[in-house]
Amino acid sequence: MTKELLAGRERGATILELRGITKRFPGVVANDQIDFEMRAGEIHAILGENGAGKTTLMKILYGIMQPDEGDIYVRGQRVKFHSPLNAIELGIGMVHQNRKLVNAHTVTENIILGHPNAGRVLNLRRAEQEIDELCRRYGFKIDLRAAVWQLSEGEKQVVEILKALYRGAKILILDEPTSALAPPETKKLLSSVEAMADDELAIIPFITHKLPIVLSTSHRVTVLRGGRVIARFDTSSATEQSLAREMVGREVLFRVERPAVETGKPVLQVDNLSALSSRGFMAVKNVTFTVREGEIFGIAGVSGNGQHELAEVLAGLRKPEAGKVTLDGAEITDAPPLARWQAGLGYIPSERNAVGSIGEFSLVENVAMNYYFDDKYARNGLVDYANIRKLTEEMIVDYDVATPNADVKAKNLSGGNLQKVILARVLTRGPRLVIANLPTQGLDVGATEFVQNKLIEAKKNKAAVLLISEDLDEILAISDWIAPMYEGEFMGILPADEANRERVGALMAGLKSEREAQ
Amino acid sequence: MRIGARELKIEKRPSLSGWHAALISIGALLVALLLFSVLFVLAGVDPLEAYRGIISYAFLNPFGLPLTLNRFIFLLLCTNAFIIPYRAGLWNIGMTGQLYMGALAVFGVLALLGARRNGSVAVSPAILIPILLVVAAAGGAIYAAIAGALKGKYNINEIVVTMIMNFIAFWLVSFMIKEGGPFMGRGGEGESFQLPEALNAPLIAGVPFTLLLALGLALLLNFMFARTTLGFQIKAYGKSPAAARYAGINPVRLPILVFAMGGIMAGLAGYHYFAAVPGVYKITSNYGYYGDLAFYGIICGLIAMGNPIASIPVALLFGGLSIGGRYIQGKLHMSFGVDYALLGVLMITLVGFQYFYNNQIVLKTNRESLNKESLDVGVHSPES
Repeated sequence: MTKELLAGRERGATILELRGITKRFPGVVANDQIDFEMRAGEIHAILGENGAGKTTLMKILYGIMQPDEGDIYVRGQRVKFHSPLNAIELGIGMVHQNRKLVNAHTVTENIILGHPNAGRVLNLRRAEQEIDELCRRYGFKIDLRAAVWQLSEGEKQVVEILKALYRGAKILILDEPTSALAPPETKKLLSSVEAMADDELAIIPFITHKLPIVLSTSHRVTVLRGGRVIARFDTSSATEQSLAREMVGREVLFRVERPAVETGKPVLQVDNLSALSSRGFMAVKNVTFTVREGEIFGIAGVSGNGQHELAEVLAGLRKPEAGKVTLDGAEITDAPPLARWQAGLGYIPSERNAVGSIGEFSLVENVAMNYYFDDKYARNGLVDYANIRKLTEEMIVDYDVATPNADVKAKNLSGGNLQKVILARVLTRGPRLVIANLPTQGLDVGATEFVQNKLIEAKKNKAAVLLISEDLDEILAISDWIAPMYEGEFMGILPADEANRERVGALMAGLKSEREAQ
Repeated sequence: MRIGARELKIEKRPSLSGWHAALISIGALLVALLLFSVLFVLAGVDPLEAYRGIISYAFLNPFGLPLTLNRFIFLLLCTNAFIIPYRAGLWNIGMTGQLYMGALAVFGVLALLGARRNGSVAVSPAILIPILLVVAAAGGAIYAAIAGALKGKYNINEIVVTMIMNFIAFWLVSFMIKEGGPFMGRGGEGESFQLPEALNAPLIAGVPFTLLLALGLALLLNFMFARTTLGFQIKAYGKSPAAARYAGINPVRLPILVFAMGGIMAGLAGYHYFAAVPGVYKITSNYGYYGDLAFYGIICGLIAMGNPIASIPVALLFGGLSIGGRYIQGKLHMSFGVDYALLGVLMITLVGFQYFYNNQIVLKTNRESLNKESLDVGVHSPES
């Protein structure tokens, strides 16, 4: 184990220690003899790919799951958690990636929900003062009386953090803390995290793919792979390359080639398109653009700015209010989804579990979702499962999907492997237009690189690719055109060589002209 | 629970094969019979004798077996009427109404052809019987499709709709067959007119041909779910409507289709009971009893886990136990309804045993052997 290298101040003693934590599931050892320790005032990141055992470890730390073997020590005392309540009592707080908040309630109400001191009669004013004090100490800016549904993802995360702090957390677990945040929100969060560490809190961020954040913020990093601790670094001695190598188990290039492909005919033409969100407000406002053969058109934006609705309209899953969509010159504005698939659409939805796949279906049946209407794989009303099985097995090899066989249910695949299956299923059809909605969200470094390369391959095969991503770096790395989207509108359409992080970041934050950005 | 160095533990079951499901159901059946024997003992009856009586009457007796088979045909059709929408994630609680509409359609056609007035029709049975089958199927299908359309188009709860439509159909039958109704029998005793004798369904070894029809349809449905495009679409919609819609499956047409198909099954059940069972051949005044019996299609369908093949033994068992139970009750002069009580206990144990669909009892020797489990990259359960 490495030595403590925190500069300047003498920090507190070890406040949390795990020894030999082991947790098994049928057929899998999710955590294998994990040792881990935290000191007060330390930011100690846990890094790992999907399926490395992070989620299990997090659940054990927060008392949601009990380890099969191993012990947990808090301030030197051996403890056993039967439920999260035990963990909370000992000062452990958890900030979930999937926010667990009551949307109709205000920020303050959410924070005091379940707090033992809230009592039977709420004293909201006193609670507000206390929460306000926390905000000031750590630099959070938030309207305590706003309802949660009005907040951005970043603000919701602040509510989760405040909730943990208000309950007296001294050890804070952050699950993928920056995955849903725009660059400015990320910056604010990180400065608050540093302020909390300065205040002797111990912080454990669990991170899949944002390596630069690990490097810039944490003091130590523990890398998990295959359920074991593979490496532990002082962050000062780590590099992005070395972290990725340990995580993935091989060298990872942080550079995807962006080959210049001769662009051809326009494939997708969108003209003055508007659409409502499910809540009934105008989510897409008069959007006009064209995607041609052999180019990747990237839409950059923080979630909730209309990209999702736009993708759904183009896939035929949402009715537009106004405007016109054509695919290869034929109007498809009101065409049902099946007609679009047959006309050459390939849609990779952002909800890979709820929409893109059927968990209870085998991989063969999941592949059949895009082939049951294809004459080559279904004739006379009969599905040719033997042929689709062969196709699925080829996809498993070509896309390097880690699965014992093609009969495994989709719900048993990790996120990255499931995304590979969806990608393979859509791209193998040779679509004219690929719409990839958050294709790498939640994926680890290796899988992200794979998906990006496949999209580039589709572009080389003369497909038009529409990429929607919240990851600005991804958009900048592989798109030929970049459209920052803010509150339902494109803030401009920039060619790749005129786009850079600052410019696009400012536009997607809603700053119209570059003068405003400065 | 520990037994020496071994330990009994309850664990999550990773997957359930059809074979295991069958074993669990047989276990549940045995436990139900064991539990019910307590009731026999309390009533002063030897349980073994009672069960011997039930089984021999239901399945071996020349009078009992045809009754069992007729009830089996009816239940099997009702079960599949439930199963088809169930596989699409939708609940058809309206077999009762649909089978009434099937029966009304049959007697409606006959009335139009003058059967009520003349007691016979001029059309050859070889032509008319197939027409009556089609008409019964259509009556059930159209009635059921209303619920499917309301679900698909406006997302109105299909359980409520089919349930309400049961009452409508019940009173419609009442209106048609009671005194002064268009289908009233000659004596006006609250029954419909008699089916012309020439149209009595052909019997095969004393059993109506509908037996082959019901079995054939069950096999056909199994094929449909296993191999056809339509079956794939139904299953996909049933597992995830959002994913099905993404894959291009029409979310309005599909509910209509599965309800219409379920309605066909129920309509045929109506034909079977009121136009094919020897000795009935009319809509009887106690038609409500058969409507209630149709609800066992839901239970059978759930126990068969939506599998049309598995529904065959389940429906046979329920048919047999209800016939045998009623017989033994009379024979041993028992004071309670053995048939419904027995089916009730069986139902409860079968539902209770569904716990073992997701969990299993395992015998572990020691912890060492566990550590050798391999790490399977890529596939992992509750993680992430």
